[in-house]
Amino acid sequence: MRKALTALLVAALVAVPVFANGSAEAANEISPVEEIIQQAENMTMEELAQKAIEESNGKMFYGVGNSSRGATALPLFISYLQTIDPDYTLNYEWQQPKNNKIFDQLTADSLKSTGTFAMTLIQDGNQIESKMVRTGILDTFIPKEWAEANGTTAADYTGYLPLQTLNKVFMYNNTGSKTYDNVWDFVAPGEHGLFMDIDSEIVGKNFLYMLTAPQYSEELKTAFEALSADEQAVFQPTIDAVASDAEDLGLGENGKYALAWIKLWVESYNAQTDDGPICNTLVSASATDQFGLIVYSKLRSVEESATVSKKNVDIAAYNDGYQGFGGFGYCHYLFVTDNSPLPWTACAFIAYMVNTADGFSAWGKDIGGYSSNPNVAAETEAIYHHQTGGMAEDGVTVEFPALNDRGGDWWLSDGRLVLEDPSYCASVSFTVGSWIEMLSKYTPS
Amino acid sequence: MENYTAAIPRGKLFRNKAKTFFSKPQNVILLLMGIVLTISTVAPIVAIVGDTIKIHPGTIDAYLSGRDSGYTAANYIDLFTSPLAKRNLWEPLLNTVWLSVGACAVSILYGGLFAFLITRTNLKYRKYLSSIFIFPYIMPQWTLAVVWQHMFSSNAVTGTSNGLLASFGIIMPAWWCIGLFPSIVVLGLHYAPFAYILIGGIFRNMDANLEEAATILDTPKWKTMFRITIPMIKPAILSTVLLVFGGAMGSYPVPHYLNLTTLSTKYVSMNDKYTGEASILAIIMMLFGVAIMFVNQLSIKSRKNYTTVTGKSGQISKINLGKAGKYLIAAALIVLTFFTSIFPIISFGFETFLPNPGDYSFLYTGDPSNLTTKWWLTNENITENGMYGQMGILHNSTIWKAYGGTILVAVCCSLFAGTVGTMIGYAVSKNRRSKAANYVNSVAFLPYLMPSIAVGAAFFVLLSNQYFSLFNTYTILIIVGTIKYIPFASRSALNSMLQLSGEIEEAALIQNVPWYKRMLRIIIPIQKTSILSGYLLPFMTCLRELSLFMLLCVQGFILATTLDYFDEMGLYAFSSGINLILIVTILICNTVVNKLTGASIDSGIGG
Repeated sequence: MRKALTALLVAALVAVPVFANGSAEAANEISPVEEIIQQAENMTMEELAQKAIEESNGKMFYGVGNSSRGATALPLFISYLQTIDPDYTLNYEWQQPKNNKIFDQLTADSLKSTGTFAMTLIQDGNQIESKMVRTGILDTFIPKEWAEANGTTAADYTGYLPLQTLNKVFMYNNTGSKTYDNVWDFVAPGEHGLFMDIDSEIVGKNFLYMLTAPQYSEELKTAFEALSADEQAVFQPTIDAVASDAEDLGLGENGKYALAWIKLWVESYNAQTDDGPICNTLVSASATDQFGLIVYSKLRSVEESATVSKKNVDIAAYNDGYQGFGGFGYCHYLFVTDNSPLPWTACAFIAYMVNTADGFSAWGKDIGGYSSNPNVAAETEAIYHHQTGGMAEDGVTVEFPALNDRGGDWWLSDGRLVLEDPSYCASVSFTVGSWIEMLSKYTPS
Repeated sequence: MENYTAAIPRGKLFRNKAKTFFSKPQNVILLLMGIVLTISTVAPIVAIVGDTIKIHPGTIDAYLSGRDSGYTAANYIDLFTSPLAKRNLWEPLLNTVWLSVGACAVSILYGGLFAFLITRTNLKYRKYLSSIFIFPYIMPQWTLAVVWQHMFSSNAVTGTSNGLLASFGIIMPAWWCIGLFPSIVVLGLHYAPFAYILIGGIFRNMDANLEEAATILDTPKWKTMFRITIPMIKPAILSTVLLVFGGAMGSYPVPHYLNLTTLSTKYVSMNDKYTGEASILAIIMMLFGVAIMFVNQLSIKSRKNYTTVTGKSGQISKINLGKAGKYLIAAALIVLTFFTSIFPIISFGFETFLPNPGDYSFLYTGDPSNLTTKWWLTNENITENGMYGQMGILHNSTIWKAYGGTILVAVCCSLFAGTVGTMIGYAVSKNRRSKAANYVNSVAFLPYLMPSIAVGAAFFVLLSNQYFSLFNTYTILIIVGTIKYIPFASRSALNSMLQLSGEIEEAALIQNVPWYKRMLRIIIPIQKTSILSGYLLPFMTCLRELSLFMLLCVQGFILATTLDYFDEMGLYAFSSGINLILIVTILICNTVVNKLTGASIDSGIGG
């Protein structure tokens, strides 16, 4: 019996190449979907809608994304097409895989001549760049109106199409006396910020990669210099200790500030499974002096009770004189799959989401997500009044300061958020990334 | 005879032999199952071994090899020799082994002691205790981990908001709140019903003569226990170890929620950047499964059958715990099972009425306005009403669609695994001395011994590529669930078939009764209780299985992934509600089956 089982395992090892798959190779020639995209980039929303109706009436549309709200946007899109053709119907399924499976799923689907998924809404610029774009699995489509709203053209624009930028911001429980006015305060001795583990949510890792980019390491240096001499003395040994690593990694003269902050952060943050539980913690009266780095929009659904309140939380970046970045931003990108079964419909759906407030409403109704289309962003603010979302009914009294979202223009400027750059992340993921992986993570004891 | 055989042409002789061979249904079953199970076991292993040497664009193997396609040994070299080897391989491996060993120890000690008290003593309330004891196995394993968090977390130690105990000033140390210890306890409690059922089965049928002889000879009680009782239940202990070790090793959610790095959690966290190396971790987990398989084989060879002990004695004497003792110990067990079985259910129920996840304002204030029915009754998700964009449980189509999908998968897996397992049990019992039967029996058992997450990973690689597109389909879940849970049915069918005398079927054979009629009219009716448990266990296990299915479908596809999604998001009202739905479903099914057939999960041990 043992021999039989051994033989079975040996057979498994020997037969590997039979089942092993070759990886997808980037096509050198332009694909049929890319041809369609080129045409679509010169069409108006209405023209695209017409093409979508011709292509997909009565058919099945599969989308896949990191956000479940694609499923909310799709019926709105169908309703929009029905305003043009009342007889139009579209069946749809929106999938939201977990644990990074979206990349495996899209890779597996790309191996078929015609794929299952028409398009995707996806995050993590690093993996998108290295696994999806360089391999030719996903194609970028830049809608005409979106390009115009951003003062560019599809031909001139380089980069992916972002649906929105989401922010994760430093927020803290204010029931104690502690305040935070400098980004270095979050990595001071004894601080253990609540944060989704960087191995669970990869955009958190990208945030750390981005800190080593010149503009952000300089921002860290500036914030460091704003500290008192006593405070600087606390961090200086760490900065000195990583200086040679920064040099080895080619991070420039300020790279040591970035590496020092990263080291202190990784070795101190208290890993949690998701932003939801962190938010639940921070709004509780018992979480005195705790802070977290979480998606801003999580605050939206907190209900007031005897021990839980949105008043218990402050946003660090809103503090007067705050130094350094107040969180990080990452994008939800939109792509058409290179073997999309319904490329016109995919383009039309994408255009609908980035060009209309209705199309963006699934995300726009919440704070902390900013449309990449300035027109849509303005319209969304006019509808939902996020910038005054924390005011009392009288419109004057500030009831929940944390809910007064200062808006995309404020957050996305002046280095208030560390913004993800897919190319930069991909370029350092095996240099800075490996350095980060060598750090010892914090465990409560 | 020799001359006569020589006179027959070789072809005809072969045909006659083949005809004779195939005229026996058990041979046909063995041949078919041998082929099917070999493929279903080997193919995923082949696929995942292939994945370890394949270059994945954007991952470490592509970076180290400088290529975007082809094959490389870089994953093996990097995993075993890089400076990260300790963190990515050896520490998780050690944690996994400790977790598995610890879970075995807890489940055997707790389940075994419980079985002893229920079956060998005059303890009071045995029926109630027997029924309630299996609850932790019914519930998804990580729900106990979440309850543990809600109980013991504290601002002072875990750096989060206060859990229930901390609210009353009781602060537990970190080793109690997170890491190895709670993971062992939670998994040990989850798997203790295994030990209870297996060890209890032996205790129930055990001949008390030996213990009585020891008593007459004035042997100290501890000596009787270590020299007689424990050796007699050794096969059941080994059996429990076989079942629990693989289960604990492949558990993802419990260590994930309790902050312990194991091979399973590492597999998931490494999959983005170290895809090929993660596959090696899956193979290492599989190797443990194979090692357990060999232990199994050795135990069979040494004739120490690990399943159940047969041979009943009419003298089953029950130990008298004393007038007060039988009540006191029962009371202690009632309290203990309250915390492992009842409290989680109360906690789930309570959680669905809290205004915010983990918001125990009502307990502090006693003010009912700090309770809400919104998590059940809200029927829209347009306005912001503290529901995180979700509809209430009763109106939430995602939950009910997932419920339907779960029932479909559980029913299909139960039917397929139960039927295939029963046939294997039958065929093996009829050919128990043959190597082929042993092979089929072993290969059918192998997937169960392999950690769930590794099996899931292997089937993902195998069935989600340019040839197959089965990711996120019920088909893939049913295939994997069936293969994984065939042993539940094959083992119980084999054990019951072995108790059947061959004369019973032979009598029908002489009357020319066809095979299917012999099965349906004679064999199955006689052993229906055991056979039905072979259907019942896959059904119940599938209902709350996560580790096996989490890599094969998206959240919202089945109830376990939906529950996990809500738990991860911190929306405990939804996850608690789903837990209640699952528990009620399982209890209803168990009761219906029990009333109709007499079969049940605890197999009437407490009776």
